[in-house]
Amino acid sequence: MEAASLEDSLAALRPTLLAIARMQLRNEAWAEDVVSETFVAALEGSRKFAGNSQVKTWVIGILKHKIIDQFRRTKREVSADAQMEAAQVETFDELFAADGHRVDRPLDWGDPEATLNRTQFFDVLQMCVDTLPAGLARIFMMREWLEYETAEICKEMGITSTNCFVMLFRARMRLRECLEMSWFAGEAKR
Amino acid sequence: MLGWIRIPCAHAHRLLSERMDRAIATDDRWRLRLHLMACDMCSRFERQIDLMRVAIRRFGE
Repeated sequence: MEAASLEDSLAALRPTLLAIARMQLRNEAWAEDVVSETFVAALEGSRKFAGNSQVKTWVIGILKHKIIDQFRRTKREVSADAQMEAAQVETFDELFAADGHRVDRPLDWGDPEATLNRTQFFDVLQMCVDTLPAGLARIFMMREWLEYETAEICKEMGITSTNCFVMLFRARMRLRECLEMSWFAGEAKR
Repeated sequence: MLGWIRIPCAHAHRLLSERMDRAIATDDRWRLRLHLMACDMCSRFERQIDLMRVAIRRFGE
């Protein structure tokens, strides 16, 4: 691949990479840094890379490593946020009646593939992840996007495994509600 | 007699999330399985969190 065309591809990917990095890191300066580091690594490694169509997948793979490096560099701040979040109590009692059964009816979200084929759905998903508190969002994205094992997350963040499961549950509950209100409720009316 | 196996939705929700992050105990697997057979709302929740997982993994693809 020509060096110039790789640069063009990277430039075109920049907004996507920045959005993902922001969503994960919740810090503008860190996000800018990891995207720049990703570009340097991609340009340096471009000779190892052959094939045009998979540039994005390849670059996202580099970005994941750079995000993990960033977490390690700023471990103290990141784990302080996680520990603060671990101390929060959120029961979701309002969703369940005294006998523990669910009060509201979650909507039927329909065919998952149809949803996943809509580009705008991913904008709403990103917006919903961005509304989570930083400590929750990072743990959730470490689990779901970086695909860390829960034990590794607990270790990196200095929290107990019970806290970890509770926080992942809270993140899923909040995200579910946000998606239902911001996407599926509107879809159902269409 | 089967009292041990009956769980409320609040508990089923927590187990559905937890089993995405670790292997849950055999008793809990049974409780959840039987609960899901009878409960549309928790089955819906299960499909919703599954979709969220698939969607997040597709970020950047």
